[in-house]
Amino acid sequence: MQILKITLTVLLALLLQLLLPKHLRFFRFIELPLIVTVYFSLMRSPMMGMWTGALAGVGSDIIGGGIVGVGGFSKTLIGYVIATVSVKFPLDNPLARLGIVALASAANTIFVVGLYLMLEQSIQHVGAWGEFGATLGLKTLGDTLASIPIFWVLNRLFPDQSQAKRMAIRRRFYE
Amino acid sequence: MSASPVQRKTHWWLAALLLGQLILMSVNARHPSSEQSVFRTWMMSVFSPLVKVGDAVISKIGGGFSGLSELRRAKSENEELRQEVERLTIALNESREKAAQYDVIRNTYGLPSLLQYRQVAANVIARDTSLWFNRLTIDRGTLDGVKRDMPVATTTGIVGRVISVGPNFAQVQVITDSNAGVGVMLQSTRAMGVLKGLNNARCEIKNIPSTEEVPEGETVVTNGLDRIYPKGLIVGTTERVENDGSTPWKRIVVNPAAQVDRVENVLVLLIDAKELKLEETIK
Repeated sequence: MQILKITLTVLLALLLQLLLPKHLRFFRFIELPLIVTVYFSLMRSPMMGMWTGALAGVGSDIIGGGIVGVGGFSKTLIGYVIATVSVKFPLDNPLARLGIVALASAANTIFVVGLYLMLEQSIQHVGAWGEFGATLGLKTLGDTLASIPIFWVLNRLFPDQSQAKRMAIRRRFYE
Repeated sequence: MSASPVQRKTHWWLAALLLGQLILMSVNARHPSSEQSVFRTWMMSVFSPLVKVGDAVISKIGGGFSGLSELRRAKSENEELRQEVERLTIALNESREKAAQYDVIRNTYGLPSLLQYRQVAANVIARDTSLWFNRLTIDRGTLDGVKRDMPVATTTGIVGRVISVGPNFAQVQVITDSNAGVGVMLQSTRAMGVLKGLNNARCEIKNIPSTEEVPEGETVVTNGLDRIYPKGLIVGTTERVENDGSTPWKRIVVNPAAQVDRVENVLVLLIDAKELKLEETIK
């Protein structure tokens, strides 16, 4: 049931990603599948993190018209790393979570741009170092700000997971 | 400290997933034609109707708000449009006269006629889904006769070409994308070059010699040699013309005639690549 809910959430994120940038120009700098990947990766299951990343990444490649696998590779790795880190360190603080989203967004941009350059594919917004820096900054800011309402909504859609997190914090405190 | 069985299993899964993505990437990157991937066709075929409905709803809501503010401008715009219609009617009559003269000359000298093709109108249902590419998604696909590499245009000029198509959708690479290329020529001098996208709502013509006289505001049309766009379609106008001392070529920036970054409705020109090749061979 949980897997189905997560899959549907990722599919909804992909659908909105397809629909919204046409109407809201700033949405180009927001990547909903990445934010969803980070959210589920913070649930401390590396398996869940990387599978969510793989699904969200391949989905973004498909809808975005790029090479299928580039976003998948990047998000699978990001999902796994965040989930592994969240097992070892407490990342339940909202500020820590924002920091993780910002790092994940920057890492994703660098991975994706790096992979496209390695594959000798031309992509936009990376013409010069200055332009790449501006894109990286705007995208990181966009993803981080967008994660605030999205995490709030997801916390209400997945209350069991929020409860599990609170229990985990208490356990860490008392044990 | 050794890893637990669960951790080992997770590592194997990670390796398998990453390897899978690498295989997908290498297959896609090596064969540009594989942009027509099975994954993309399946997923977009399911998403396309949902996006179309969502787009219609958002457009309706947004249209309601903007309609109120635009009502004020309607009167003055109506007057301007009346004058524009009069001007265009005169221009149309002149063009008809020229076309009639051209037909007489063509028949006299036995020149081949211009390629005739059907068009299908489509709505743009998604745009700029990825930050890295300039792509449009339209609500027409193979069921409407759309095929890969068919040109997409508006009544004012070309927009791009179909790069991926499913039963009910098609993805269009616009001419301002840096990966796009179009064979073009200047309408008056017939100097030929290659149009490349600049990723900023503008394009650039390459390979026009610096000795060539190119005025600003010159109309740029397709030359038909790229085997995608038929000859004579309007591309845009030259906006900036510079001589680059380090190369023997001019730097010509083109403003596309179609509003590529804001277009809502397009026409897919149902031209088969084979048909175009035959036509060009005749010429």
